[in-house]
Amino acid sequence: MPKVLMKGNEAIGLAAVLGGCDAFYGYPITPQNEIPEYLSKYMIEHNKVFVQAESEVAAINMVYGAAGAGKRVMTSSSSPGIALKQEGISYITGAELPCLIVSVMRGGPGLGGIQPSQADYYQATRGGGNGDYHVIVFAPETIQETIDIIKESFDIADYYRNPVMVLVDGLLGQMMESVDLNKPIKKRFLPPKDWATNGMKNHSGRNVVSSLNIDPQKLENHNLKLQAKYQNVIKNETRFECINMEKAEYVIVAYGTMSRIVRSALEVLKEKGINVGLIRPISLWPFPKEAFKQIPSNIKGILCTEMSLGQMLDDVLIANNGKHPVGFFGRTGGMIPEVEEVVRAIERFQETVVK
Amino acid sequence: MNRITFLTGYYGSGKTEIAINLAIIKRANVVVDLDVINPYFRSREQVALLKSHQVEVLSNQLKDGMYADLPFIGGEVYRPFLDESITAIYDLGGNDLGAKLLQQFGDYCVNTPVDLFLVVNPFRMETSSVEQVIKLITKIEATGQIEITGLINNTNLLKETTVENLIEGDTFLRQASKETNKAIVYTIIEKSLLPIDYTFAGEVIPFTRYFQTSWN
Repeated sequence: MPKVLMKGNEAIGLAAVLGGCDAFYGYPITPQNEIPEYLSKYMIEHNKVFVQAESEVAAINMVYGAAGAGKRVMTSSSSPGIALKQEGISYITGAELPCLIVSVMRGGPGLGGIQPSQADYYQATRGGGNGDYHVIVFAPETIQETIDIIKESFDIADYYRNPVMVLVDGLLGQMMESVDLNKPIKKRFLPPKDWATNGMKNHSGRNVVSSLNIDPQKLENHNLKLQAKYQNVIKNETRFECINMEKAEYVIVAYGTMSRIVRSALEVLKEKGINVGLIRPISLWPFPKEAFKQIPSNIKGILCTEMSLGQMLDDVLIANNGKHPVGFFGRTGGMIPEVEEVVRAIERFQETVVK
Repeated sequence: MNRITFLTGYYGSGKTEIAINLAIIKRANVVVDLDVINPYFRSREQVALLKSHQVEVLSNQLKDGMYADLPFIGGEVYRPFLDESITAIYDLGGNDLGAKLLQQFGDYCVNTPVDLFLVVNPFRMETSSVEQVIKLITKIEATGQIEITGLINNTNLLKETTVENLIEGDTFLRQASKETNKAIVYTIIEKSLLPIDYTFAGEVIPFTRYFQTSWN
């Protein structure tokens, strides 16, 4: 049977294994528990590492240590759990280590609720850790795309020596779809991990993994090196999809589950005689600014839609750079918008305009 | 189907959707939601729909219980055992973990004949071989302390399901039935695919997907 029926979270677990994951460290939180549940069984049966840590802080620091030893490692959590990991993420980025972080968003702030949300866009793209750093963030819209991206994530993380975050909402984690696990991924040349703290066999001198850099000039140089790396990420890893742009009267920007709702809204709007295009960012950092170049100059406006209250909107406003009117529609707290609501937001676009 | 029927199976095999469909088609009075495994897509979310079909949902009476992720089930779930006028379908959580909740009904089952049906979708990776199905049966029976009395064939790939898939699933389930000596009681087939010129094992249940979104 080439296709199987999988739940988003178990697909994430299995895709990580297919991507070469050596070790998982995490702490339970709804709605992502099926990821550690799946891996707790699989990793042990296949002689790999699975640790349920005593906390999220412990888990991300275990990731830090194991990534430093040159292994392919991951953690997964949900909104408040990812908040707890921010310090570790900053350290891992500072020490230039690769890892995969899966974030399955639920309603916030605080403990919030357990229903799906996209309110961690800032948390993922801006981060809560200190310093001039970025994590590479991908936001797939289907379970198939989630599998494909997760499989590739360890390669991307290794290539840039930087954490990759895969950001989905709880609905993608919990829903089921038929998927193909064997789709090929892009082949990359990956240099040997001669920086890893895994003994003296493969390199001369001592390898040290640390984010401490007490000399300001050295620290500035380190930051400039990181920035140069981020420029390469922007150049090579920016991903997006544009739909129905040529004759669009309006363009909607949406990612993840929200973009699926918008796809259905586009069909309804088309039947009503309103032609609407879609920009779907797949990488949230780097945000696909160049997609906005495809927007026809005579459109009436851009509608940013989110399952949050105006976070990606900042990036849309930056990318738009004052060219077209920008409106906003969002639901939050675990409420999933209906197709009709998106249709109405376009029909009454003037009322949604924020800038 | 006995007056009291439990549905079990690998998680994601379709128990909840089948519980709702069977309750409506077989005119059950009560659906008991015993799912303490899943945080989403639980039968307690379909209270209004089931009410319109005169089916009551029993789960827990906690405030906000519908959205809580608590392993808590209210005492009212025993009611169908105490009132013989009630026909009830019990929707268990997935796997042997979900079947743990069966243990507490053991004493009641001594005097009340119950059915425990295993929902199988061979397109789920953990039930894609007969050996795996046998292993799951063993685990669920050992945990739940109740014998599985029949199989429900829920072969599907959601919207991508083809008639060929269904026939493939029927062949698979017949083999599993032969090896486990458990009858196939129902074959679940999405309404839009019916009628099909093929004799499936057990009674064909025309299926409506109630957990539908307004989008794809």
